[in-house]
Amino acid sequence: MPRQLRSSLVFACLMALFAIAASGQAAPRRPGELAWAIHYDPKTFDPAKVDEQASELVRYLTGGVLLRINRQTQEPEPQLAESYQVTPQGTLIVFKLRSGLRFSDGTPLTSADVAWSLRRVLAPATQAVVAEEFLSPSEVVVETPDALTVRIRLAKPVTGVGKIFDEIAIEPADRPSEGRVTSGPFTVTDYKRGQYVRLSRNPNYWRRDSSGARLPYATGVRLDILNNREQEISLFLRGEYDLIDSLSPDYFAIVAQKAPQSVHDLGASLNTEQLWFNQFPAAPLPEFEKAWFQNRNFRTAVSMAIHRSDLARIAYNGHATPAFGFISPANKLWYNNDLKYPHESVADANRMLAASGFHRNGNQLYDATGHPVQFSILTNSGNAARQKMAAMIQQDLEAMGMQVTIVDLDFPALIERLLHKQDYEACLLGLSNVEPDPNEMMNLWLSSSPNHQWNPSEKTPATSWEAEIDKQMQLQASTASQQVRKLAVDRVQQIVADQQPFIYLVYPNALQAISPQLQGVKAAILSPGPVWNIDFISRKEGAR
Amino acid sequence: MKKRIAAAILLALILGATLVVWLSPYNYAFQDRDAIMAPSTPQHWTGTDELGRDRTVRVAAALLIGLTGATAAAVITITIAASFGLLAAYSPSPVAAILMFLSDVFLSLPWLFLLMMARSLLPLTASPLQTAVTTFLVLAAFGWPACARAIYRGAAEFRSAEWMIQGHACGLKTRQLVRLHIVPHLRPLLLPQFLICVPAFIVAEANLGALGLGVGEPMPSWGAMLLELENSALLARSQWVYLPIALLVVVLLILESFTTEIDY
Amino acid sequence: MRPQMIILSRVGRTLLLMLFAAAGTILLVRFAPGYFTDYREMDTRYSQAAQSEIQAEAVQQQSAGVIAMRMVKSWLRGDLGISRQYGVPVAELIGARLRVSALLLVRGILCGWLLAICTALPISGMRKGGILWGLPFTLLLAIPTAAMATACILAEVGGPVLVLSLIVAAREFKFLRNLLESTWRSPHLLQGRAQGLSPRALVTMHILPNVAPQLRALATLSIVTALGALVPIEVIFTVPGVGQLAWSAVMNRDLPVLVTVSLLMASVVGFAGMLSTRAVTLEEA
Repeated sequence: MPRQLRSSLVFACLMALFAIAASGQAAPRRPGELAWAIHYDPKTFDPAKVDEQASELVRYLTGGVLLRINRQTQEPEPQLAESYQVTPQGTLIVFKLRSGLRFSDGTPLTSADVAWSLRRVLAPATQAVVAEEFLSPSEVVVETPDALTVRIRLAKPVTGVGKIFDEIAIEPADRPSEGRVTSGPFTVTDYKRGQYVRLSRNPNYWRRDSSGARLPYATGVRLDILNNREQEISLFLRGEYDLIDSLSPDYFAIVAQKAPQSVHDLGASLNTEQLWFNQFPAAPLPEFEKAWFQNRNFRTAVSMAIHRSDLARIAYNGHATPAFGFISPANKLWYNNDLKYPHESVADANRMLAASGFHRNGNQLYDATGHPVQFSILTNSGNAARQKMAAMIQQDLEAMGMQVTIVDLDFPALIERLLHKQDYEACLLGLSNVEPDPNEMMNLWLSSSPNHQWNPSEKTPATSWEAEIDKQMQLQASTASQQVRKLAVDRVQQIVADQQPFIYLVYPNALQAISPQLQGVKAAILSPGPVWNIDFISRKEGAR
Repeated sequence: MKKRIAAAILLALILGATLVVWLSPYNYAFQDRDAIMAPSTPQHWTGTDELGRDRTVRVAAALLIGLTGATAAAVITITIAASFGLLAAYSPSPVAAILMFLSDVFLSLPWLFLLMMARSLLPLTASPLQTAVTTFLVLAAFGWPACARAIYRGAAEFRSAEWMIQGHACGLKTRQLVRLHIVPHLRPLLLPQFLICVPAFIVAEANLGALGLGVGEPMPSWGAMLLELENSALLARSQWVYLPIALLVVVLLILESFTTEIDY
Repeated sequence: MRPQMIILSRVGRTLLLMLFAAAGTILLVRFAPGYFTDYREMDTRYSQAAQSEIQAEAVQQQSAGVIAMRMVKSWLRGDLGISRQYGVPVAELIGARLRVSALLLVRGILCGWLLAICTALPISGMRKGGILWGLPFTLLLAIPTAAMATACILAEVGGPVLVLSLIVAAREFKFLRNLLESTWRSPHLLQGRAQGLSPRALVTMHILPNVAPQLRALATLSIVTALGALVPIEVIFTVPGVGQLAWSAVMNRDLPVLVTVSLLMASVVGFAGMLSTRAVTLEEA
């Protein structure tokens, strides 16, 4: 090689080496600090204004609450409140606070702070989402007969008292601090937008373990804002992150191969993936298409033609469970064990279609009026499992003679078509059920709701079965009797299985990766997943 | 590489791909659900993909679609860039200034939103081929501004070149000078841009899939296969994931051998 | 023309470019699908709150003209607006990120050019095997940015600067090699080589001066290439720069941020255009 060429190439290589920046590294970790990634910036640190998941996590880790739901037993446990009572009518709740409570800045926590925090959440100006749980928040009266007692008088009884107060963080009266002064295990001490949120241990946290040692065990938490799965996994495998709370099924095998003790498949989560057809009467679709989608036989035939076990096995690499209803078997309190649903059967599907006048000519299915059955399925881009499911459903329906086009859209464009213009034919999406209580799904099932996705904002229920769903959901919302509620929700599940407004496909499994260096972790599916008992989680001494 | 050998290899690739698609017992859309990410077997020469589809057929079909679309789009974009740049270089200064200003405005705008509008205008049941053609046309329509200014500067330099002056003196019209002399002198700018556009358009087509454009399922997309390289989980499961990029490098080498001046 | 007038006209051109870019961005973003939407609408717990916010915003922002007027008024007050997704001033968001992106761009472009020149010079002078020697750059053109980033992450080496340098180098190499090939074969170069001039003298006295005008034109192209590659690189490596912010703004239809990014883009493009203009224009004035 000529000398000038050699020297030029050496120089070029040196330049390349000079250009090599350090590979992506997480910020240095403080002793005793836990670290993991969240996928986007929290919108707010004000616990009363939380309206998305990242902010919810920060509120969970920092906000002191009166009651906390044990994510394994689903039962409320006292926190700042030592005890509580609810009258049989459900219109009076009395909390007794623990004595000696302090905020993280050392100031005492009394009933005045609790009352202020509750009133702030209930005030219309705050627009707190949890206020809606009180049904008529403006009629709620909060009284403080003494420094350790709080009385809450409700105009209407509410369901899930434990769950509601799990979401109300107690802040210093007249001094909202956006998470800087808290009564929970941690406080927000540093935030760099797009990079990380740092939480530090609350030195005045009320809780101690059984041996009297101070809690939380961890000195702090660092939440890195990172949206790249490859980087997250690489940093986890290097020990720079302690956990991945929603591991993608694609990556489960590779993490299992490199760190077999760290991966956990907890079985079906509460979430569902479903397909539905547009039944909105004024949708900009041809009338014959609307006739298909409003036809129960058509929807049921589509449901029967889909091979759900293949979806779970292939699209989720085995980390999903075939679904036939909106309540996951992981939700033991509410799952309908006696649900009767249309089973997978191509022969029965063909029979149902024939009964409604559909017929095949070669490879193409036609309706009774001679129109070929062709439609599109919308889904959102960026979800690999969902896109695989769409391609598989496309093949399953092609075997029935239906020609399906898959359209991936970005989320805003998808929402506009689905919720604002109803300009779509079918949609494949998932529903993230953070709460197990079906009352949280009222907005989905009430026919008058804008989120009643297959036919939103109905002035009156369009069908008798939708009217029945309305009735049963309102019944379960207005009674405190668990038995009555369960019967009502069972009935709704059966109606949905009979009518198939949503064709449920799978319950994705809850997949987590937890470093073996972590101690005290107790597996749970309910949000916030593996860190629900954050007070007791720590890293082993000397762990990197 | 001699140009004839290069042409023969390219022809063999295209013919081979066509034969594979035509004669294979497997359709590119057929999912063999009992053979997911299978290794190479006599039935599936290069194994199967994540949905059990024969990889050989899909890569062959993707090569034909991607090569046609990306090459055509690259030719269109180079033509637009060259026309724009030449027009600006040989127009009066105010016209040139306006044209270059328009080119800069084009570069500064977020055209992604226009692509979203384009998708919303297409019917939802538009076939994968229709969205593929639309995508490549759109890429061709928006890929030219970056190169136009370089061509404009290059062409403007030639105004005072000796051979230009001689050409004028010999009575050649501007049109003739452009065709016979300027365009050949611009080859060092045009040909590399063409080589850069082809792989860029192939990958861009896949990225536009996020907006509802691109080659729709079940039609295979070369760009989408290249994007599999970013998934470490897939890389660990099969070596055949590297096949599309290997083919793309071969195609680019062939195209490069057509576009270099020296006959090796 | 006097130098001061030339500079003034260039600055004026850039300002006009920024105005057009802002107007075009407002039109494109406002009328693109999904402007009046919020991802929280799909969450049954938060949908009602999200829908009320959107309805209130829709009342105020029906017309692109109204949006444009409000923006111009706030710019005159030195206010770049409030981000739709973060609810904080855009100036505060962008200010912190400008330095990060600028450093990444400068390092990436400089290293990319050095790599391209140092490899294109010797390879373009070779009689045989040039295409094969250029194979690494052909490979780099074929690999998507995301795949390069994954390779860096898996190998635990490299980062955003390396990936940007390689992208710029791959593209510039192709241009430079073609440019330099024809220069190596030009008569005066052949004469110089025949007369035994050293390679260094050939390069510094004959090659570089000859190709300097084309290099200036390529400089504009490489700035535009680097700007285009900045967004995927910052997103994939989670670099807190303007590119990452811009991508997030696109996904959330954050108009104030997008307009500001367009203004920045227009100013860089305008500056790059000034660079590619012959310096002699000033000397001639």
